[in-house]
Amino acid sequence: MKGQANKCLSNNHMENERKLTIARSMAEATAQEMRRDDNVFVMGEDIGKLGGVYGNTRGLIEEFGSTRIRDTPISETAFIGAAVGAAQDGMRPIVELMFVDFFGVCFDAIYNLMAKNIYFSGGKFQVPMVLMTSGGGGYSDGGQHSQVLYGTFAHLPGMKVVCPSNAYDAKGLMTTAIRDNNPVVYMYHKSLQGMGWLGTEQGATVHTPEEEYSIPFGEAKIVKEGSDVTIVGVGLGVHNGLKAAKLLEEKGVNAEVVDLRTLVPLDRDTVFNSVKKTGHLIVVDEDYKSFGLTGEIIATIAERDISALKASPQRVAYPDIPIPFSRPMERYALPNPEKIVNAYAKMKEQ
Amino acid sequence: MLPTSEKKKWMYENMLVSRFFEEAMETIYMEGKTPVFNMAEGPIPGEMHLSTGQEPCAVGVCAHLKPSDIVTATHRPHHQAIAKGVNLKMMAAEIFGKKTGLSGGRGGHMHIFDADVNFACSGIIAQGLGPAVGAALSKQMKGDDSVAVAFLGEGAVNQGAFHEALNLAAVWKLPVIFVIEDNSWGISVSKAESTAVKHNAVRAQAYNMPGRFIADNDPIALYDIAGIAIEDARAGKGPTLIEVETYRLAGHFMGDAEGYRPDGEIDRLKSKDPIIRMKNLLIDENVISEDENLQITLKAQKLVDEAIEFARESDYPEPEEALDKVFV
Amino acid sequence: MDITIPTTLWDEDSDAVITSWLVSDGAAVNEGDLIAEIMVEKIQHEIHAPKTGTISISQAVEAVVAKGGTIGSIA
Repeated sequence: MKGQANKCLSNNHMENERKLTIARSMAEATAQEMRRDDNVFVMGEDIGKLGGVYGNTRGLIEEFGSTRIRDTPISETAFIGAAVGAAQDGMRPIVELMFVDFFGVCFDAIYNLMAKNIYFSGGKFQVPMVLMTSGGGGYSDGGQHSQVLYGTFAHLPGMKVVCPSNAYDAKGLMTTAIRDNNPVVYMYHKSLQGMGWLGTEQGATVHTPEEEYSIPFGEAKIVKEGSDVTIVGVGLGVHNGLKAAKLLEEKGVNAEVVDLRTLVPLDRDTVFNSVKKTGHLIVVDEDYKSFGLTGEIIATIAERDISALKASPQRVAYPDIPIPFSRPMERYALPNPEKIVNAYAKMKEQ
Repeated sequence: MLPTSEKKKWMYENMLVSRFFEEAMETIYMEGKTPVFNMAEGPIPGEMHLSTGQEPCAVGVCAHLKPSDIVTATHRPHHQAIAKGVNLKMMAAEIFGKKTGLSGGRGGHMHIFDADVNFACSGIIAQGLGPAVGAALSKQMKGDDSVAVAFLGEGAVNQGAFHEALNLAAVWKLPVIFVIEDNSWGISVSKAESTAVKHNAVRAQAYNMPGRFIADNDPIALYDIAGIAIEDARAGKGPTLIEVETYRLAGHFMGDAEGYRPDGEIDRLKSKDPIIRMKNLLIDENVISEDENLQITLKAQKLVDEAIEFARESDYPEPEEALDKVFV
Repeated sequence: MDITIPTTLWDEDSDAVITSWLVSDGAAVNEGDLIAEIMVEKIQHEIHAPKTGTISISQAVEAVVAKGGTIGSIA
């Protein structure tokens, strides 16, 4: 049901518990769908023998072979464009763009073909493809390997955009993405994957049922109920929000945390209802501040009913700068729980 | 066009500085990353792509270049930066993320920029080619006989940018040289699995420019061919594509477990170390004595040690400096 | 029964780091279930439950464990 709190995120142990990392849950969803449907196949750089640089295709080439799990040359325009063509011809490709930052070399295939061919054909062509891509910084990988770019992809019409914050959602969203006859951009955050060589947010590794299940798009989740302020986030931002909620609790503030899960279609109702309840809004986003997700959430509330807001909404977002390499500068720029707490204080001062 | 003894010595010294620098990088990179290998930790965080074994590709070309000549490099830039004359202390400081770095810590290891010697990098595969073509265009329009050199890996040849850049350079007869460092591996995918031709040099025919192949990581042979290409470019004869068979002795990036390499490959490649081969060549040809070799080696090590010390002792930037230099 | 890091998983004497626990302390596990991921020299390895029972975790995520070291037990 829309907006229901889900205990899975709180790591309570349960019967037959099995936790998965997001990397494993993505691979599991993919494998289950590939067993169900011969038309599903995977293409991308290093997704075969290596199992993906981020572990999300682990085990697939061993089970399905190299016709359905294809390592590609470094030719994004060609293989992502090819995925569009294959999808239009009835296949169901899952294609990986290794880092979302690389979209620059192949964006025409994404925003002009993948996202528009259904429309241009009046719905006569379907484009059942999944474009999965990694994003996120905080480990000194520099300005061309650390971006999230949620705003860029969510802004352009014709593609669905999802972003899991935990393994349970990751599997359900991937299943839905593969079954969707529309193009889906599946954006996973590197710090949530479970890769040992890159610190992982433990809260993302949660109980994930072995059976198939799907999570509908367009349904945000209240991951912590509260009454005083609504904190909205996606991906790693959800975990920052939950940590901030703990800090706020110590100050007697009861925060509600909303995990958007899907950016397109956006669950504006859940966000609006939460803000109507709390009267206060903080949006967290690792993407650049201006012209993006934080503005979109605030505009949603303002245009529906500005009286829902009892104080000016706050944005905790990345500044409008290329991502710096040096650790103190990168840390300064990234959202974190303390910044969310400070945003609340600022809001209350007004 | 074979190198003089002086040039050979320069190449050898430069290869040594490059090698010692990469060895220092390899050691220091692991500081703070054991026993838990977390890329974010230590004095050199993030990714690290070492050029160990690929030194000949840089020196064979850069031996011909002046400061006004442009070089664009990739995510594996250290050997090329050193050969081009990038300020070693400031480069080291940049890799450590210090305020005294080439860009005050904003770029890091994959984004080494030194305007004084016209050196720039891109972390996105093949994207250095366009700017090199543009720099060459600029020189041509100004009537300047400087040239541009774009380095790329063999994996990059399968990117659209490669084909567009070569075609444009040929159509406008630009003074640009494209140098492919073929180390056979694009992370875990071999050239045989990803590339339709055995030698990328043949692709030059598609763009009506000379395509040259240098076997076995040979800096002398590369010096010869690069010299001709650069001379042709300076004389207005247009671009050249050069492919160098080289060897990556380290992983794609530090942290690469290299499970995809066939057994014995790394050992076999180490036995062909280009530094040792160059040393033996210079001694055999009486260009240097064993004694001079020792002096050269110590000097190279000292240069690297001083650069590292400078980097370690420099301060970090203030956090708010992140907001500066977005615009001029 | 102790859950130990198998000594045959890798050649060198280097230590392992626990990167993920895939069950919670006190959970019921079946023999063969995947219960943890460890990392040795940048390679991830899997740890499976040696028997069916209830698991007790003694080493947390990010703990460094030697080859043959114990990370928990199953009752």
